[in-house]
Amino acid sequence: MSIRTGWRHSLTLRLALVFALLAFVSLTALGVALYRDLERELIRRDDAALVTRIDQLRTFLNDSNTMELIRSKPALFQNMLGNREALLTIGTPGEPPLLVVNPGNLQMPDLPPTPLDHPLNLSDVQHLPTFNGVPFSALAATIDSGDQGKLQVLAARLMTERTAVLASYRLNVYLFASVAAILLALSGYVLVHRGLLPVRRLARHARGIDVGNLNERLDSQGAPRELLPMIDAFNAMLDRLGKGFVQLGQVSTDMAHELRTPINNLLGETQVALQQNRSIEAYQQLLASNVEELERLARMLDNMLFLARTDPSSALSQRQELDAAEEMERMADYFEGLAADAGMHIEARGSGSIWAEPMLLRRAMANLCSNAIKYGAPDTPLQILATPSADGIRLQVRNHGQTIPAEHLPRLFERFYRVDQSRERSTQSNGLGLSIVATIMQLHNGAYSVSSADGVTCFELFFPGRRQGE
Amino acid sequence: MNILVVEDEPKAGNYLLNGLQELGYTVSLARDGADGLHLALEHDFDVIVLDVMMPKIDGWEVLRRLRKQADTPVLFLTARDDIADRVKGLELGADDYLIKPFSFAELVARLRTLTRRGPTREEEQLQVEDLQIDVLKRRVTRAGTRITLTNKEFALLHLFATHQGEVLSRSMIASRVWDMNFDSDTNVVDVAVRRLRLKIDDPFTLKLIHSVRGIGYRFDTQP
Repeated sequence: MSIRTGWRHSLTLRLALVFALLAFVSLTALGVALYRDLERELIRRDDAALVTRIDQLRTFLNDSNTMELIRSKPALFQNMLGNREALLTIGTPGEPPLLVVNPGNLQMPDLPPTPLDHPLNLSDVQHLPTFNGVPFSALAATIDSGDQGKLQVLAARLMTERTAVLASYRLNVYLFASVAAILLALSGYVLVHRGLLPVRRLARHARGIDVGNLNERLDSQGAPRELLPMIDAFNAMLDRLGKGFVQLGQVSTDMAHELRTPINNLLGETQVALQQNRSIEAYQQLLASNVEELERLARMLDNMLFLARTDPSSALSQRQELDAAEEMERMADYFEGLAADAGMHIEARGSGSIWAEPMLLRRAMANLCSNAIKYGAPDTPLQILATPSADGIRLQVRNHGQTIPAEHLPRLFERFYRVDQSRERSTQSNGLGLSIVATIMQLHNGAYSVSSADGVTCFELFFPGRRQGE
Repeated sequence: MNILVVEDEPKAGNYLLNGLQELGYTVSLARDGADGLHLALEHDFDVIVLDVMMPKIDGWEVLRRLRKQADTPVLFLTARDDIADRVKGLELGADDYLIKPFSFAELVARLRTLTRRGPTREEEQLQVEDLQIDVLKRRVTRAGTRITLTNKEFALLHLFATHQGEVLSRSMIASRVWDMNFDSDTNVVDVAVRRLRLKIDDPFTLKLIHSVRGIGYRFDTQP
């Protein structure tokens, strides 16, 4: 786990960055919108100033005295315009201009003049290509100057001031957006960090839970509502683990106890036999008895290993479509003698097919049948039934005998669980048969259950049918 | 039958050697993989019993090298009950396997099967002393008396009669007669054999089915 920590993202950092980005983007967007409005307004004003200027000239130059004044005192007009960004020419087409005011030495634009009869408005202002990054607006018009005839007037202006205002505005927008983004990122970081405090507290608590204190639970007090499902789920998991752990411990203990009996028999019998010289027959008897105990140990070992094997994929991959009637008949055949010895007769019926691993199915059924015969009453039938349904097949093993008290039923499938602890320590039983059945059914994603009432005990297995693609 | 046993565990090696020799086989015992491989390549054996878990050259390696030069039948012994392990052995060219602990009778039966060359022709009529078995008609008579058997009783008798003189273990009988390939906690086999005896042995002086204490059953005219 720790190997991959390197490129794992931090939730806090990510949220802080997202906050910052969102703040920056939204503030910038707002700034840009306002900027556009401002820019449009400024352009409008500048254009209006140009229009006003031409309008004034139209009125002004109608007077021949003024023309005279232009010729004699052009400096007056230069002063009138007041700055280096303005440009003004007055002249007759085809002749040298009467007046050129161009303190900034700007390049003279060549514009078609607005006709005399056309009232000037904002749309007549030409926005020329920028000049060193500064917009340049110009307006040309024909003017009637009475005796001088028609004159052409060109007024233009380099918008340096406007550019400066807008630049400063832009800078402010970015500055504000950046500062806000940084502030939000910081506060987001702090908030998320604080918000995750309960998680770190839970982690600390969880780290403290060990085999020794498995019954301790995570404390949900003070935890935010969002964390409650996780805490509950974690505690539920601890419940299950705790239960499994107790069971596992119990199984180990039980197994050790189960091993005691055969080992004790082996040890005792052999030691007693070695106490003095005995006949060949006695030795043979001893060895045969040892073999019996050893076989019992081997079987137990085999069963324990079978139960410990948790890989269901290999079992599932070996499933086959088995004929239910044939399998039930096989069980009846196998147990025919044993049942007859117990005075029972077997009724096997079935139809449909079972989707199962054959050896596991037979092992499960054999365990149920041998139990049923062991606890069945004489002169009663042992019924082995297979009933197909839409989604699978139900197998039942039903015998007549003593009713199993209800409190034992849920625990029957546990390892080494015995209804009567003292009675059943026979060589034939090792208390694992039903837990093997349970394991086999889990491997098949099936179900198992037992019911017992009025002297009839019925074990039921459900094998799900073959699904498409299996 | 000429058998090579490759087994590093001293007790196991000894009992395999003694047990198989007592049954009249010629047995060579190798105590490690290198010896085993050497013997297997030098001599001509009918079958090799190969333990998988050995120091230095393990059973898999012996098998791998052996298979490059010889196709002597190999039965491997393993204490690991993993499907992957078994598959590996069979893929490497082993012919059969047994998982420890196994019954000695089972081992002998498997070795016999491995060395039986060619398909055995199914006998249609079997005769053991005064017992006659008509396999096709599934009819059994002894000393002229017709004996009625159930299907499985007949299958059991047929198994016995075709393995005359061999000791058959309970798990082998369960596997051959009922196709139950696992050690059951029940004494089904004992019960079935007793019921068969009731019909074919009890009424007659000469007993054919003999219990072999601690191992299983033997079908023989000799006690």
